[in-house]
Amino acid sequence: MKKLLIIRSISFQQLDMNIIEIKNKFPNHEIYLLTHEHGVSLAEKYKDIDRIIVYDYKESFKYRNKVESIRHEVFDAVIVPVNNISGLGFYNVLLYSLSIKAKKRYLCNLISDIKEISAFSILSLGLKNLIYSFFSFVLTLISTLFLILFLPLKLIQIERQ
Amino acid sequence: MLYPLVSIVSLCWNRKDDMYESLKRIREIEYENLEVIVVDNDSTDGTIEMIEREFPEVKLIKMYKNLGIEAYNVGFKNAKGKYIVIIDDDSFPKKDAIKKMVEKFEKDESLGIVAFDVRNFYKYDDIKKTDYEEKNGVEEREYLMSFNGAGAGIRKDLFEKVGFYPEEFFLYFNEPDVAIKVLDLGYKIKYFSDIVSYHKFSPKNRVSWRAPFYYTRNAFWFIWKNYPMKLALKTTIKLVYSCFYYSLEQKTNIYLKAMFSAFKDINRIKGKRKPVRLEIAENLRIPFYLSFTFYR
Repeated sequence: MKKLLIIRSISFQQLDMNIIEIKNKFPNHEIYLLTHEHGVSLAEKYKDIDRIIVYDYKESFKYRNKVESIRHEVFDAVIVPVNNISGLGFYNVLLYSLSIKAKKRYLCNLISDIKEISAFSILSLGLKNLIYSFFSFVLTLISTLFLILFLPLKLIQIERQ
Repeated sequence: MLYPLVSIVSLCWNRKDDMYESLKRIREIEYENLEVIVVDNDSTDGTIEMIEREFPEVKLIKMYKNLGIEAYNVGFKNAKGKYIVIIDDDSFPKKDAIKKMVEKFEKDESLGIVAFDVRNFYKYDDIKKTDYEEKNGVEEREYLMSFNGAGAGIRKDLFEKVGFYPEEFFLYFNEPDVAIKVLDLGYKIKYFSDIVSYHKFSPKNRVSWRAPFYYTRNAFWFIWKNYPMKLALKTTIKLVYSCFYYSLEQKTNIYLKAMFSAFKDINRIKGKRKPVRLEIAENLRIPFYLSFTFYR
């Protein structure tokens, strides 16, 4: 049987909706769900999820955070659900999907449109984001000077007496 | 076991049909000692008339204009129950949720907030297992969690002690602001997978500049109100970076506007900064994922 992994990067309320479309588009797939620890008992309620994998980190999905139990698994499909139309803002999850061995990767958006996204597209997106990161870093650096001078004083001022 | 009075408090603004459905479902709740309070934020679509006509048992409080989440506090202050259940105008607890919630509270004095498993109203019953054996709670070993305002129970006296919802926030980040204070007082917040609330989760409700604006501005205010100095500085710098980054990535200035508004109007949180213990601030899981409310 083919294997599919969903990376739970959205709320259960949205996943409740997306999972029906995922199941329809990928019949005859064994469905795995990767979720933070707090999501496990909530995910166990799904009749269509065959296996739940714990993402054993507090922080969001990051490329460096490996999950031992699926390290050697090869998935036929990895799904990244996003809570908007385009997938903007979900680059970290897309990049994370590259750390998992998969034949194909897909983006599933807020209205359950599922489209394939290649590793090349993810890496190209990464290149663009690298430029954004650089400019954001420079702007933040400049702002930090102001923050270090201004913010501590202001925070003391607004403290409850 | 005695069943104490529980107050369900909802806030509505121009969502007549959702409110009607929500109140109809609340009538089906299997718990006798219940008070239902609806605070209306000056609806103009007939919501008020509908509630007065169809649900005379509901305590309706009318606001003179849309005050955002500040209006919730009017409802909370008027609540007479030992426990308050917070819902949205498009959410409602499952029939058995209140009884189960009360049992959890009565069993454990240190339980401050019971977080419901908030699920999709339209799809949840189709996707769930019928033979699922519900567990008692959701364990998080390494971190603490906030709750979802579309379904949560809180002790009234505790809620009062933490000052209810932050009125200056208008929209978003009100739950973490309460959660961090509750945790700092030594109470627990726990999710229970067997206590369900249905929410009309819909993509249609998401198209608005208000969500990313208030979410971002309030993220700054939340940090400045509650985080110890060093962590506040560090997290502010991270947030500033996120504002620049998402503005470039999503080609919008809404995050920058929100950031400037946070700084410009910082005096609106004057006298409200009370840093919590460092371990609470560090362990409470707030992803500060600014772009999550952005639709396109």
